[in-house]
Formats: sequence, C-alpha cells, structure tokens
Amino acid sequence: MKFFLILLLPLALFAKLNIAVSYPYIGALTKSIGGKNINIIVLAKGDWDPHFVVPRPSLISKIRNADGLIINGGQLEIGWLPQLINRGANPKTKVGAKSFLDLSHHIKMILKPKNVDRSGGDIHPDGNPHFHLDPNNILILADTIKRYLSSIDITNSKAYEKNYEIFIKMFKIKIDEWNKKMSNKKGLKVIQFHNNLAYFIKAYGLKNIATIEPLPGIPASSKHIMNLIKLIKKEKPFCILHDVYHSTKTAKYISSKTDIPIVLMPHDINSLDSIKDLTSLFDYLTSALDD
Amino acid sequence: MQKILLSSTLCATMVCASIDILPTEKRTFEQSKFIPDISLILDASFVNRDIADDEVTHLEIPGIAHGLIGTHGHDGDTHTSNNANNGFNLNYAELVLSSSVDPFFTMDGIFHYSENGVEIEELYFTSTAIGFGTKIKGGKFNSNFGYLNEQHYHSYSFADMPLVYESFLGMHGINEKGLQLQWTAPTSTYLMIGLEILQGDNEQMFGNQTIGFTEDGSISQYADAPSLFVTYAKTSFDIDDTTILAGVSYAKGTTRLDRSDEEENAYAISGDSMLYGIDLTIKHYFNSYSFLSLQSEFLGRKIEGILYSDIDTSVMPYTFTAQDITKTQSGIYTQLIYANNKNWAMGLRYETFLKNDIILDNINSDKPTNLDKYSLMIEYNTSEFAKFRLQYNRNNALYNEKGEQQHVNTIILQANISIGAHAAHSF
Repeated sequence: MKFFLILLLPLALFAKLNIAVSYPYIGALTKSIGGKNINIIVLAKGDWDPHFVVPRPSLISKIRNADGLIINGGQLEIGWLPQLINRGANPKTKVGAKSFLDLSHHIKMILKPKNVDRSGGDIHPDGNPHFHLDPNNILILADTIKRYLSSIDITNSKAYEKNYEIFIKMFKIKIDEWNKKMSNKKGLKVIQFHNNLAYFIKAYGLKNIATIEPLPGIPASSKHIMNLIKLIKKEKPFCILHDVYHSTKTAKYISSKTDIPIVLMPHDINSLDSIKDLTSLFDYLTSALDD
Repeated sequence: MQKILLSSTLCATMVCASIDILPTEKRTFEQSKFIPDISLILDASFVNRDIADDEVTHLEIPGIAHGLIGTHGHDGDTHTSNNANNGFNLNYAELVLSSSVDPFFTMDGIFHYSENGVEIEELYFTSTAIGFGTKIKGGKFNSNFGYLNEQHYHSYSFADMPLVYESFLGMHGINEKGLQLQWTAPTSTYLMIGLEILQGDNEQMFGNQTIGFTEDGSISQYADAPSLFVTYAKTSFDIDDTTILAGVSYAKGTTRLDRSDEEENAYAISGDSMLYGIDLTIKHYFNSYSFLSLQSEFLGRKIEGILYSDIDTSVMPYTFTAQDITKTQSGIYTQLIYANNKNWAMGLRYETFLKNDIILDNINSDKPTNLDKYSLMIEYNTSEFAKFRLQYNRNNALYNEKGEQQHVNTIILQANISIGAHAAHSF
C-alpha cells in the first residue's frame, strides 16, 4: 500500500512546474521569481564542494521527473551532472532544450585563463564560475530566470514579472546596505583557500594576494606553505577567507605561524546553519570581515 | 639580383600567409567547432607474480575457466589479459570520442588500442528525445547487467576484474552488439528497468555459431541470432549521507563454446545457459571527498547441454564423445573502499566461488569450491586525471595441469592517466 502511495506522489506535483536546479542559491532565486507556480528540486547540497557533487542515482529520478533544469554552468557541474542528465533521459532537461538554462551564458565571467592547459591545475576554461557571490550578478540572474520562466510558462508570465519586481526592489535596497557595510574594506588584502570568492572580492574592492591551493584542485606542498607564510609576513593581509567544505587544517597551521585569523565564508545557502536564503548569505559575507 | 627576387617572393608568400590566417568564426566552411569530445586514457602496470609467465597461462579455475591470465594465441590472433606479464605491461590505450549527432541522438565511440591491435570496445548511439524516462541505445556496448559490467576497467576500484566476472564472461564482460531499452520510473525513489537484445557471442559463456563443419560433419548446429537476452531492475535511495543501490539482473542465451582446436584438452559445449546477478552498493559520504563504500555482487550461472570431448578433427566426419552436461556455478565478490580525501583511497576485496557443480551424464564430477582470492590496494590520485595504485593479490583459485591448487601472490603497481575531455563520474 505504502509503495503505491509513493508511486502516486509525483501526480500530486503535476499542477506546478517542477524546476530542477543544480545548487541551492539557484533554487532560492528561482523560487523568489516563480513563487507559488513552481516547485524547486535542488540537486546539490549547500555545504559540500560544488565541484564534487556525489552523482547519487536518486538525482537521476529528480532529473527524470523535472519540467526544466537550471544550472550554474561555466563547467562547475562538469564532473557530476552530464552523466545524470544522460541517465535521466528527459528531453526537457537536456542541454539545448528550451527548458534548459545555463546561467553562465548570461554573465560576463572574469579570470578567463589565457592558457588552457591542465598543467595549470583543474582550471575552468571559460573563467571563474563562482559568479553568484557578487550580489550585482544576482540582479542579472533574476532577470534571466524571469525571462526563462516566462518563456516556458507563458500563462503565468505576469506573476513572474510581478515577483521579479518585488524581488529586485528588495534586493537593491539590500545591495545599498551591503555596499555601505563594505565601503571601509576597499583595498583590504586577503588570502583564500580556492579563489571561489573572486566576484565578491572584485565587487567590494578587496585584494586577493594568494591561495592556499597552489593551483586549482592541487593540494598545497610544504614548500608552497612556507612561501605563503613568508608572503603573509611581508604583505600582512587581513585574514584567510576559507570555504566551508575544505579542511581548515592547512589554514590553521598558517594562521598559527602568522597570527592572521581564519574567516569562514559560506558560498551557498545551507553551507552554514544560519544561511537560509540569499539575503542572509550576503548579510553574513558582508559582516564576516568586521572584527 | 637573385637574392632580391628570392626575398621578395618570400615576403609576398608571408603576406599571403598572414591574410590566410583568419579567426575561426570568419572561415566560411570552418568545421573545427564540431570536433567531438576526445579523451585518451593510458593504463600501464608493473607486475611481480611469484610464478613464471609461461606457467601462469596454463593455470585454470577447475571446471570454470582455463588460462585467465597471460598471453594466448587464438586462430592466429594474440590475446593478452590485463597485467599479463611479470615486469612492465601496457594494458591498453583507450580513445573516447563522443558528441551529439543531431537533436535526437548522441554517439559515443570507445576504442582500445593495445600492442596487438585495435578493438572497438564500444560504439553506440543513444536517443535523447523520447521522453517518459525512456532511452534506447544501439550498436556495440557493455551491457548494464549487474553493477560492474557497464563500467570500464579504469573505473574499477582494483587493478583487476573480479574472478567471478572474468571467469564466467571473459575480460570484457557482456560486451555485445545489440539494442538496449531502459526506462526510469516516474517515482521519487530511483527505479530503472532495462531490456537488452544482444547478438550473443561471448567467448566464455554464450555463442551461437556452428561448431565444426556446416555440412553433415558438424559437431553442433548454429542457433538463431540474436541469441542473448538480458533484463535487469535497479533501485536506489538515500538515508541522509548514505546511498544504497541494489539491482537484480538476468541473462538467457545459447552456448556454443568451440575449444576443438586446443592442443591440451580439445572440447566443445553446445547448449542453453542463463546467468543471474544480485548487486548491492552501500556508500556513505563523510564530506565532499571522503567516503566508505561496501560493494558486493553475486553471479550464478547454469549451462545445460552437450559436452563434446575426445574430438578428432583428422577424420571426416569428426569423431567425438558426447555427454550430457549441466554446469551450475556461482561466485561472489565483496569490496570495502575507504577514500580519505581526493588524493588517497584504500580498499580490500574478498572473492570466492560458492558452487561448482558439473554433472556429466548424471554423475557429479565434484569440482572444488575452495577457490578464493584476497586483494588489498592503496591508491594515490595526483589529480582527477592521474591515479597510481599499489595492489596485492593472493589468489587461491588457480590449479595447475596436475590438478594441484596454487597460491599465487601478485603485486601490481598500476598507473592510470587520462588527458582531454573531463569524464563525468557515475555512482
């Protein structure tokens, strides 16, 4: 009996559009625009490395049953999503479908490598894909998602337009607030683990002087760490900005040798318990450097 | 004068040449953007086995398979298993090409280059536009039977294939020409059902060709092809950060094994066979990079037919002895893998055969079942594209020609390196 109830479950969801999204931030943004007309299915967990999502078979079912798929793009999902899309065998979620959206195509990406070669580590040939951490890009993405939803669900396009206006109005007020909060941080030097805050750093005029990973995806050698300690002692950066999914062991060692603090920087919704939506994500990020 | 002429011609050529170099998007019939995704994978190993190469090719798993390891000659072709020889081995180079064909299909080609030649390992098209969770694959491909069969050698957790797979199905597993239909149920719990119609020319277990001459001298008549049918169901669910994947598989086909040209013990088997499998994977993730996984697979088979032995091909028609044969055999492997982070992983594997009954004319020939193997491995990945693995095997499943059980110890140092397109991982 219970099994049949499980079988019938998706029928109950037919009334709304089921939009699968790769990461929680896309889910939250899409929900803000889609409102009550859509259901969001988030594939990746917010507290895990967005590059390394476990391709669990349950995700195949989520893709199979979706009416559309929105991805970050910029090769962030290259290691886990293509196989799931193939296995889901859903024409609505395949690359190039009208109901498939690659957000990276609508953003001007920065740090595009001049030389695409894996001797430079696990690089992203189209540029740094962590663009959602500049709140100004969220405005562009909101517009992109509004137009996407309107194109696949014309009957509700007025509702999407209305939700979009409300969201933009609210978010612009927040952006002003965050700009004010960050105005005295211009030129502040920081160290990162992986350059996943590139857009945040650019938006607020911070200066990333080095990363703990010598090259993207390559663990630090002791020689690299020694050089880093020397550099920190010379340049005196404010802190080490650290993501939540890599071990902080190396950062703690560097911190103990140089007396600069480690500041944990959430990259997505649910990456820390207190980050429940987009505004709380940027509230946290813009307050993190206050100490 | 000559010098001036020469240099002016040179200059003119250079000007022409510089005009010729247009950016890609301005070259009228430029097609380079349509290049498929390409990757090349190297698998090489250093092997130290406490038995000579000449000897290892003559070892057998009694009643199940003969000459699993080493280099063998078949009909003038040389056939080499992975990690065949003591010392250095170039197991293969795998070239993968894949791309969309049109809005309705994708195509993938996987080619194995070895020192003995090239094999089309897989070459298939896959539908992308059917919907209803349905996809069709056609061409030559690895069957999705069980857990391991569809995977390529380089994505295994150990440097060698589990014994039960290799001895029942050969080193390529069920790798056949045919059609595959898969359907994923519209449920929130993953449920996939698949059906395959395959040609059925597996070297170790299936087959449909006439044995001997097609005229009245034949030992056994052909069976109608396609002659192999495979079906399976797989399901998976998550409990927090633990994923459970389970499957049942069934294959039914005809058997035509022609070993009539073998020097040592010429025989042939003709009949019908079936193979079934149960697989279970439990994988727990501690974080994005670290996991513990327990994976196990059981395979059972039954071959019923006629065994032709004492074959004499020097007279026409051939003479032979025919006996009724029923082989009922099963085996299992279980492996535990712990990945500490992106770089380090280690694992252990236990394999054994559970049943090895061969009934000849109603008499059980009592084949041994104390056939087991233990493996330990540790691997280091410098990046996602390069893996170095050290493995130790103790194999108690092999017997020599005198019928004595061997205990073969092997150390394998394997290098698996890939360049080109980034292959997405499957679970």
